[in-house]
Amino acid sequence: MQNVGGESLLVPIGARVVDVNGIIVLNDTARCVWELLAQERSVDELAAAVAEKFDVDFANARVDVQTFLDEIAHLQALKS
Amino acid sequence: MTALPTDYSSLIRELQRRAALIHQPVSGVFELTERCNLSCQMCYVRHSARDLAQRAKELSAAEWLRLAHDAADNGMVFLLLTGGEVFLRPDFFEIYTPLTRMGLILTIFTNGTLITDRIAQRLAEAPPSLTEITLYGATAATYETVTGLVGSYARCCAGIEALLKHRVPFGLKTTITRHNVGELEAMQQMARNWGVSFAGAWMLSKRRDGNHSEVEDCRLSAQECVNLEATDRISADEWVESAFRDSSLNKDSNFNCQAGKTAFVINSSGEMNPCLSLSQPAVRPLEIGFRAAWEGLQRFVGGTPPPETTCRTCDTRSYCPRCPAWSAMETGTLTEAVPYLCDIARLRKEHYEGMQGLAP
Repeated sequence: MQNVGGESLLVPIGARVVDVNGIIVLNDTARCVWELLAQERSVDELAAAVAEKFDVDFANARVDVQTFLDEIAHLQALKS
Repeated sequence: MTALPTDYSSLIRELQRRAALIHQPVSGVFELTERCNLSCQMCYVRHSARDLAQRAKELSAAEWLRLAHDAADNGMVFLLLTGGEVFLRPDFFEIYTPLTRMGLILTIFTNGTLITDRIAQRLAEAPPSLTEITLYGATAATYETVTGLVGSYARCCAGIEALLKHRVPFGLKTTITRHNVGELEAMQQMARNWGVSFAGAWMLSKRRDGNHSEVEDCRLSAQECVNLEATDRISADEWVESAFRDSSLNKDSNFNCQAGKTAFVINSSGEMNPCLSLSQPAVRPLEIGFRAAWEGLQRFVGGTPPPETTCRTCDTRSYCPRCPAWSAMETGTLTEAVPYLCDIARLRKEHYEGMQGLAP
């Protein structure tokens, strides 16, 4: 994750540069999830952390987390 | 905080604007060598590929990587590798490959003539976001008149084909001179045939190092420049727009670009400067540390005197591309008017304000 002018960015590396063809700007929730993903965590663990940090209910947090995970899975941004 | 634009170019500009607010050196240029295998008369930097004195001054791969890590630690995200011709360096991939693992947005400028199938294959393993190849003509005769090297046109085309074969993203651009301007449309067609972008630059300056330059034998006249840019819809629209707006430029400010605000260049011997066209203040990050060098660069840019009164009060100022680098290359000062650009600005004003029924 990179930071430009206070904005958090994901920059593709390796052969992914061609497929992603751009950069990904993270909002606060996405940045929080990305940082937590430094360790293996379940969706529920991520949602609980987001709910606590941003003072939102667990169900909504889980939807946001799952959406972000689906997007970065589509981009193959994570190694399993 | 305002929402970020989704268009890539607009997004990058907005990120740079935000980076400037916190003095983040987000955009770096590493000029890996000043040597080139081509001999273009109009080049502002060229040294011979066999110039051993130049080669001896070039930083090692390890030094470039140290600089890259220091710069990234201080906020660099965008990095351009350029020359001279970068693929003259036999250790290019010793520099490039580790850079591809650092989360940087990489661009390479090259003339393409040294790109072999093997080099394209290695680039494809971790491609730069963009490779820009400069094309000097649409025929071997014209291309080689500009480059001074027999066989270079075919080698450039072979390099392009190798990048296409290995799916390495690239775009074409050209440096427009009196010798190749007649093939501009044909070069655009070549780019269309290859399915890649194309851009042209025709504002050619004298040499950066102050040595004798042959650019005046090559560059278009001021009238030809204005005629040419008027055929380009985007440029024309920008100038028409500028004809109607009050100049947003700070008349006392000399640097009106990102140089020294978010951008820096490190030349082949390790000196940091605001842009590729300036060889001042030549601070040395490997000796004093990247942070101190970046701060020195900002002081230099911030402390540069304003343009001379002639320029500050000129009624063509909003049409004029003069900057400290142009002044340095054409007059040896950071502040003086550049007659070639004065002519271009005057003709632009006449052309675009005339189009709109304004003065003159």
